[in-house]
Amino acid sequence: MAVQQRDVIIIGGGPAGLAAAVELYKKGIKNLLIIERERSLGGILRQCIHDGFGLTRFQQTLSGPEYAQRFIDEVEELEIPYITNATVIDITCNKTVRAVSPKGILEYRAKAVVLTMGCRERTRGAISIPGTRPSGIYTAGVAQSYINLNNKMVGKEVVILGSGDIGMIMARRLTLEGAKVKAVFEIQPYPSGLPRNIEQCLNDYGIPLCLNHTITQIKGTSRLEGVTVARVDEQRKVIPGTEKDYSCDTLILSVGLIPENELSLAAGIDLDGRTKGAVVDENGQTNVKGIFAAGNVLQVHDLVDFVSTEAERMADAAARYVSCNSLEACGLNVRTDGNIVYTVPQKISGKKDFVLSLRVKKPMRNCEIRISQNGEVKKTVKMKKALPASMIQVPLRKEALSDRADLEVAVTC
Amino acid sequence: MLKEYTCILCPNGCEIKVQTEDEKVITIDGASCSKGEEYVRQELTDPQRNIASSVLVENGELPLASVRLDRMIPKDKIFDVMEEIKRVKLKAPVRAGQVAIRNVLNSGSSVIVTKNVKAI
Amino acid sequence: MTQQFDVLIIGAGAVGSAVAREMARYQLKIGVLEKEMDVACGNSGRNSGVLHGGFTYKTGSLKAQCCVEGNREFDRVARELDVPFRRCGKVVVGFNEKDMASLKRFQARGEANGAAGLEIIDKKRLQELDPSAGGEFAMYSPNSGILDPIAYNIALAENAKANGVDFFFDQCVTAIEHTDGIYAVKTDRDVFKTRWVVNCAGLYSGVISNMLGIGGYVIRGFKGEYIVLDKKAGAFINMPVYPAPNENGGFATHAVPTVDGNVLIGPDSYITEDFEDFGVTSKHIEGLIEDGSKMFRYVKREYFIRNFAGIRAKRVDPETGEVLDFVCEARDEAPNTVNLVGIESPGLTSALPLARRAVALMAAREELKPNPNFNPVRKAVCKFSRMSLAEKEELIKKDPNYGEIVCRCENVTRSEILAAIHNPLGACTVESIKNRTRATMGRCQGGYCEMRITKMIEEEQQKKETEILYSRKNSYMFTGKVRK
Repeated sequence: MAVQQRDVIIIGGGPAGLAAAVELYKKGIKNLLIIERERSLGGILRQCIHDGFGLTRFQQTLSGPEYAQRFIDEVEELEIPYITNATVIDITCNKTVRAVSPKGILEYRAKAVVLTMGCRERTRGAISIPGTRPSGIYTAGVAQSYINLNNKMVGKEVVILGSGDIGMIMARRLTLEGAKVKAVFEIQPYPSGLPRNIEQCLNDYGIPLCLNHTITQIKGTSRLEGVTVARVDEQRKVIPGTEKDYSCDTLILSVGLIPENELSLAAGIDLDGRTKGAVVDENGQTNVKGIFAAGNVLQVHDLVDFVSTEAERMADAAARYVSCNSLEACGLNVRTDGNIVYTVPQKISGKKDFVLSLRVKKPMRNCEIRISQNGEVKKTVKMKKALPASMIQVPLRKEALSDRADLEVAVTC
Repeated sequence: MLKEYTCILCPNGCEIKVQTEDEKVITIDGASCSKGEEYVRQELTDPQRNIASSVLVENGELPLASVRLDRMIPKDKIFDVMEEIKRVKLKAPVRAGQVAIRNVLNSGSSVIVTKNVKAI
Repeated sequence: MTQQFDVLIIGAGAVGSAVAREMARYQLKIGVLEKEMDVACGNSGRNSGVLHGGFTYKTGSLKAQCCVEGNREFDRVARELDVPFRRCGKVVVGFNEKDMASLKRFQARGEANGAAGLEIIDKKRLQELDPSAGGEFAMYSPNSGILDPIAYNIALAENAKANGVDFFFDQCVTAIEHTDGIYAVKTDRDVFKTRWVVNCAGLYSGVISNMLGIGGYVIRGFKGEYIVLDKKAGAFINMPVYPAPNENGGFATHAVPTVDGNVLIGPDSYITEDFEDFGVTSKHIEGLIEDGSKMFRYVKREYFIRNFAGIRAKRVDPETGEVLDFVCEARDEAPNTVNLVGIESPGLTSALPLARRAVALMAAREELKPNPNFNPVRKAVCKFSRMSLAEKEELIKKDPNYGEIVCRCENVTRSEILAAIHNPLGACTVESIKNRTRATMGRCQGGYCEMRITKMIEEEQQKKETEILYSRKNSYMFTGKVRK
């Protein structure tokens, strides 16, 4: 097994990996390699055939495959090296990367490693939905891959649990293909997907969205026969007596996405319990020097356009790292108040421009994001509405920042 | 009459309120860009949507090629257009941008392929 | 078509498969009838996967004898059949004086049963053995262990099959008739003729018993639910941690590492009338979290990857409800039958000892000629994830399909999936592939690989998408094509 040397190894050829590769190449880092486990590049976008991608980046609305193709074309034109059908099984803290491929075990030693592995879906087991285990229960992304890539129809009478964007998009997709989607149930008092998807995927097709509801029972021993749904109270506890049965042969789960960080953990990378992604600084660098992360492996995004720009910013820093073998220390923490779920980055230097990503815990109207250091307000952003479904990004200029104090982020109404 | 809309043109999803009288627009409030106003005016008269689906590909490395419309169609034509899309069969290789159905149902919109599918 | 057998075994769980394997040592035409689509679908695949020491069962009982015997021989059995097994020991922990008294009582009983090496240990020693275990003190059973129960069931069946036994899936026995020394065993689809019948029907052993003309056995289903934890939690546990048993030797919820590195929390215990009711309930999962946390510190929601339930087939006294011993008998009113009734925990540990007793009952009634070609050794499909780097390299060189990872959570390769699709028993559902390879059993629960697996089944078995089954009969996964 010959060990190959590379300046940068990029793990995953989805939107984040592709954008990072192009940016690194343009910054002069040409000895790089994208490792992709599928037979082709593009990642999850290959199955996201609906439109709405690329509005901020390309000022037009593209389907997922078209959005990906623009980056793939650039990778091909620049002749950026990539391999497909190779699964990374191991990353070490000294940046050795091992992959399994039909050609054998591939081993690389890199100056920098870029993590762009994306995310996975939360499953039935993770949320312990009670009942039997018949066929006909799919996560939204799995149903999407069967229908859009595999030409397999998953069912005829559908109930959807969770109001994530993919779930709503599948509600529309299934309806267009002749399935009857009975309702979308969401345990929270607010939707977890974007308002436009409620409008164009549910309302357009007369599919009800029931908030404060969950599934309390799954029925059927062979194929799914039905579900019981009930209202929940403010503590998300089922309210007895509100149970209602729905017959269905298919249950689609859209109950959240989890960054895919098994390889990161093995490399000794610290994860943030809130994002389930790596703790990173403003450079997208993890606690392991020279290992960077961007895209859904870092924080789950709602827009691919943001994934691309996040990956490009990270790639810019990774290119500097490869050239200088280090980056400025980021010793300041980003602190949040109780209305914020998380921020990315979690660490900053106070000496560099960066974009702060954050999500609010609950829907808020006419609110203000206030960013301060040592009690001194550095920036405020007024918002008509802030939704948990929409990631908020706030660009910050180094001129406004101090390199002496932690950054405090608060949202107030 | 007061109507409320969620604009679907971009992820902002602006909540737009429209005041009408005898089907005439009096005020439009809540749109953060001019497209939002246009969207609402369109919704009031003739709602338009885009759809995405797949067509069968013969002899391809994938069984399906994804398609979408190159411009929106009236909302009430969605299922008619779906019937047309279901009838299409393409032969690999297929390229993104290729027209699968030109001017589908005389709507002025064409069904275009959005994915490359190589032949096997 | 009517087929004629020397022996028909009803049920392809661990016991039925063990009986098939042990009977294959003789020149007999043997068939196994199973109502499900694969082996290990009942409680053989729905338990804690523990090789028991034999200290809780009444001295002299069949449970005690078979358990101790099965425990002693299992290193050899696991080697012969290539079954993942670790003699990791087990601790039964206590918190108070009552628990201590219970542990001492069962230590004495274990010693009487022949279970070796039992000792009462203090908290310090307990923490050394398993730092994540709850409890103030414990009884340590060094000979207890963990095994992969489904792999064991499959291994027994595959070894039986390799030695000439026929397996018939999707054959639910509906009636048994006895005329002129020949049994006609009717299923929902066929009729099988045989000279001997062996009842290994688990939860339905009472029903089959009645069909054989042996009445009076009452089987009660004791259902128990489980939570499966991620391998990340598995890093914290070394051996099964059980609470001190109640007076009858019954255990409440425990924490058990699996041979693959996950952790099982469960089972609790409640009676069910419905023997097909493998559903889980919020109430019981909540209970498992509470009770399991006393045994293991890391019962955290972020580690939950799946739930399942099992139903232990306990034979009870119809009057008192008292749980009774295993039955392994050949009765005169039902000539040429071996009746195994009420086989529950420690059924897995006891499967081969029970099978030998079944053979002995048959040998007492007719002369059995040894099968000179019998080979007790069975090799499992090579698991890529368990290989060293050099071995992996070598495997891929020999077979490039080992270089394509299909299940990324468990690192299962295309080669292993192909082997599972073409398994010797001919079972082919998504679950039968899962049970043979661990694909879809990881934290993403098939999010990545299930699509690939169904496509491979379609291609390899020339099946239509509507014919692909998830687990049971009629558990179709797809309603058709999106585009025809």
